[in-house]
Amino acid sequence: MLTFRARNPLGCCVKHMITEGMSQLFPRYSNTLAPAAIAAVLVTVGVAIWTIHAFVFSSYATEVGHPVSQVVPFSHQHHVAGLGIDCRYCHTGVETSSFAGIPATETCMTCHSQVWRDAPMLAPVRDSWTTGQPLHWNRVHNLPDYVYFDHSIHVQKGVACVSCHGRVDRMPLMAKSQTLYMRWCLDCHEAPEKHLRPASDVFLMKDEAPDPHRGAELARAAGVQTAHLQDCSVCHR
Amino acid sequence: MNTPQPHTPAAVQPREEDEFAPGAAEWPEDFSRRRFLQIMAASLALAGGGACTRLPHGEILPYLRQPESLVPGKPLYFATSMNFGGTAQGLLVRSNEGRPTKIEGNPDHPGSLGRSSVHAQAELLSLYDPARSHTPMKLGHPETWEGWLGEALPRIAHWKEREGAGVRLLIQRIGSPTMRAQLAQFLAKYPKARLHFHDAAFPESPMPARVHHDRVQVVLSLDAELFGHGAAHLSAALAFAKSRLSEEQPGRLYAVECTPTLTGAMADHRRTLAPSALVKYAQALADAVAGRAQPSDEWSAALIRDLQKNPGRSVVVAGHFQPLSVHQAARALNEALGNIGKTIDYTPAAAAELAPATLGELVTAMNHGEVDSLLILGGNPVYDTPADLSFAAALAKIPFSAHHGVYENETAQLCRWHLPESHFLEAWSDAQTLDGAESIGQPLIDPLYPSRSAHELLAMLLEQVPTTGYEIIRAAWQKRHPADDFESFWRKTLHDGVAANAAPAVPAAARESSPNAETPALAGLELILRPDAHILDGRYAENAWLQELPKPFTQLTWENAALISPQTAKALRLEHGKLAELRYRGRTLRAPVWILPGQAENCVTIHLGYGRSRAGTVGTGLGSNAFALQTSDALWGGGGLEVHSLGERHTFATTQSQQYMEGRDPVRLVTPGKTSVATESESTPSLYPAWKYDGPAWGMVIDLSACIGCSACTIACQAENNIPVVGREQVLRRREMHWIRVDRYFDGDAAAPRFLHQPVPCMHCENAPCELVCPVGATVHDHEGLNVMVYNRCVGTRYCSNNCPYKVRRFNFLKYNDTDSPTLKLMRNPNVTVRMRGVMEKCTYCLQRISAARITAEKEQRPIRDGEVVPACAQACPADAIIFGDINDKASRVTALRKSPRHYSLLDDLNTRPRTTYLARLRNPNPEIG
Repeated sequence: MLTFRARNPLGCCVKHMITEGMSQLFPRYSNTLAPAAIAAVLVTVGVAIWTIHAFVFSSYATEVGHPVSQVVPFSHQHHVAGLGIDCRYCHTGVETSSFAGIPATETCMTCHSQVWRDAPMLAPVRDSWTTGQPLHWNRVHNLPDYVYFDHSIHVQKGVACVSCHGRVDRMPLMAKSQTLYMRWCLDCHEAPEKHLRPASDVFLMKDEAPDPHRGAELARAAGVQTAHLQDCSVCHR
Repeated sequence: MNTPQPHTPAAVQPREEDEFAPGAAEWPEDFSRRRFLQIMAASLALAGGGACTRLPHGEILPYLRQPESLVPGKPLYFATSMNFGGTAQGLLVRSNEGRPTKIEGNPDHPGSLGRSSVHAQAELLSLYDPARSHTPMKLGHPETWEGWLGEALPRIAHWKEREGAGVRLLIQRIGSPTMRAQLAQFLAKYPKARLHFHDAAFPESPMPARVHHDRVQVVLSLDAELFGHGAAHLSAALAFAKSRLSEEQPGRLYAVECTPTLTGAMADHRRTLAPSALVKYAQALADAVAGRAQPSDEWSAALIRDLQKNPGRSVVVAGHFQPLSVHQAARALNEALGNIGKTIDYTPAAAAELAPATLGELVTAMNHGEVDSLLILGGNPVYDTPADLSFAAALAKIPFSAHHGVYENETAQLCRWHLPESHFLEAWSDAQTLDGAESIGQPLIDPLYPSRSAHELLAMLLEQVPTTGYEIIRAAWQKRHPADDFESFWRKTLHDGVAANAAPAVPAAARESSPNAETPALAGLELILRPDAHILDGRYAENAWLQELPKPFTQLTWENAALISPQTAKALRLEHGKLAELRYRGRTLRAPVWILPGQAENCVTIHLGYGRSRAGTVGTGLGSNAFALQTSDALWGGGGLEVHSLGERHTFATTQSQQYMEGRDPVRLVTPGKTSVATESESTPSLYPAWKYDGPAWGMVIDLSACIGCSACTIACQAENNIPVVGREQVLRRREMHWIRVDRYFDGDAAAPRFLHQPVPCMHCENAPCELVCPVGATVHDHEGLNVMVYNRCVGTRYCSNNCPYKVRRFNFLKYNDTDSPTLKLMRNPNVTVRMRGVMEKCTYCLQRISAARITAEKEQRPIRDGEVVPACAQACPADAIIFGDINDKASRVTALRKSPRHYSLLDDLNTRPRTTYLARLRNPNPEIG
């Protein structure tokens, strides 16, 4: 009985149960079952955490690489890589405002009143122009309402378009290329020098990673305060 | 398990069985404990699972043609002006993607000097108020403007035939020159029509005057409200603050008044007198200055000597609610002191050229059947007129009555027609300051509902083309300002908010008529009626921001009370917080008693504007309707009042129960002789390591010498930071949400106390007690010294609020923010999170404005300039009492003020080292009377 009591992994020490005349409460196989059960619980919890983690970072949840359907299947690939139009031709607010801006129907019509005038694909643009109703674009990059992101300051400091939006010149339909999770934001806010490029490269579509030595110089020159960049107040108000 | 027994009524059950009622110790058979736990676990799992959704997709709707100079994400500012009691307040309104989201003062406008009042700030909520009138109404049924025209046009034809006989227009204070011109045209077109004037909040002064506060050294106020609502109170407050802080010759203010006003609270010497005694006192003063009599006492003698020492640099101002004799006495004093033309100008009455008749004449005509068409342009005469006129009964006799107003109020309900009026942010208009500076009121947004401005309605009645507000105002301006290049003049005026070639108003002889009869001397108490400080005569009763704003002396919200001095209450055996019946000239009113130190003896003040019966869901049925006691011969009260306690208890929704400072000196006072207020505890060492700041370190200094206690900071903060209102019932539980409150203390003798006001925002302590106790790190220190509240981390333990010695943290006990009303969504500042239930919040020093300034400065590769970050409270403050800046910057204004001998911090013995600090209140008493 004493052996059992010492071994009982559940730490059960109900004294009156071990008194004479009372049958043994746990069968002998409890000695195996109990540690196995604990292991099983640990494994289950581990698997659950892993599953949640895998789900949260899965492309299903993050929507990274999932093209979003649009009323007009606008191709960045064609306009950026094919025609070589600068980002700022359409996203006019990117250097001055928090919001980079979606082009007005008028911007589309500057070219498409001349080229592809009758393309059925562009019918919604022409309808918008004639009826006066705006185009309804589906948002691709959406941040929670308590996060305040400003495009202009990131562009000014040397965060390139590709750093967050990926190679849009290879996207026939726009898709997210980063999770936009807070951890991802902090990766850069903790070590901005790894992500900064010279001003001449900000609007270019380049694959190669920025040079950290050059980045450190740029960060110094721009007066980037890494400690302050990690303050809650920088993004949350 | 017991078998279920038939239920026996408790009364007939034996007592023994009661203790073990059948099944009481057991779970119901069909719902075991195990089953309960299963269901709860499943609910928890499902609720958790429900949170695992992906972020909702939004849509982006770009412009068709992007308007010039509009960049989405960047606000634009437009100059406009608001007619407030007949004078212009120049405003600068922030527009986010076409939605006006914040009203501020226009720095270029002489009427506001960049400052704004509580009412200007709160107009934003009025614009988006879902309770606004949505559609024309005919006899209580929705109609259209076409329907109105269908009925009005034959009427107009009839008016023309009869030259306007039987047509009456009831107007309020008019500040728009174009409106005055239109009314003159109306009288020209319909010569037999008549205008009547009624304004319960801005009555015609018996002797309108313009005071040049910037030239004044000594002010004597005879019950004048210089800093509260009224003409030019913004510039008056700023000029007084400047004069008070002048090093060479600080200004001095004497106040003689019946009931506490903001002017009396700022006064160096204050004396309370009953209204009838005040009339005699003013005459005695005039006699003494003229040498006809001796001053009645040492106080008056010292006052007279001080006034006489400053001839041409002093001013005596009589209040709007005082009878003509007080104004005549004030004018005699000003003449004797040589002030006229130097510090004060007597001006013609507003709209004098239209010669409007009185309300009494209108009611008489209505009762005699002389009126067949009555147009009420704004206002609410069914509610806000003296009870003896019985306006509602007279209105019922009018065959064709129409009410034009922003709200469908009591008057709208009793008129044949109600026509929705456009809010001033939706319509073109113009306005004029007392000095004659003209400004255009341009709309910031298209009308939210099918409404018309008063200009458009009058054009309709005048059968004029053009009919749009823009064309009417522009044509009128072209006529009044014939310039060679009108287009550029017009554009410049629109941009600047004030016309460049403003013509000053011509001083004229005083009007010798008196709408304010002298208070008849009768036995008993005297009744004092005044517009409420915030909801005025009830016109702002629908505005929840103003309803929840604590009144300056009682800190009361959502209601009014009968204000009685402690001695009088004792003599009458009245108790604070008990209902009383007020009997005055055969009329009665029930109101709760509030014992207010500083109130004149044997007087009862009750503020107007409450007891509305049709003021939307916000304003209906609050408080007591003091208009029930108003009589047309003495509008602002009189003698012969009786007060009887009813004994019934009333609970006040007040935000501050503490009346006195209890020796802790939150507000410190200095006089020009004794200026230092530093205490030993300011240099106490701390065990906590000091924070180091490489960049800016933000700080705020509040100068209590300048603060007039008007609460403009509170409302400005509410508008800027999306702060909800909580309602009366929640205020009773002390759950109000204001991020900056204005505390009020009584100091000194209870019979003649000093009133002290102190704005209290978050202190942003260096050693912040709140930061140490948050279990989830939701309140943290940032590298610029801000004490930051992170809403998305907050789990609502409220430990921080418990540990805050300043009680500036506010908790969302319920979902106070209305996120459903579509118009209120438009109102919100897009740069501030809308907080949900269960989250703590507090002053952020307007973090969004700091961020915006930092981003601009960094893009221009320069440090943030001093004065570039202005929090909403500092921006609104009429007296420039709130100064914000970088305390690491040696040259900043805030650093200089922190070195002042008047500088101190609140509860400094706690060693929290606040970033928000105070400058002691400077008093400048007359040395002769201390």
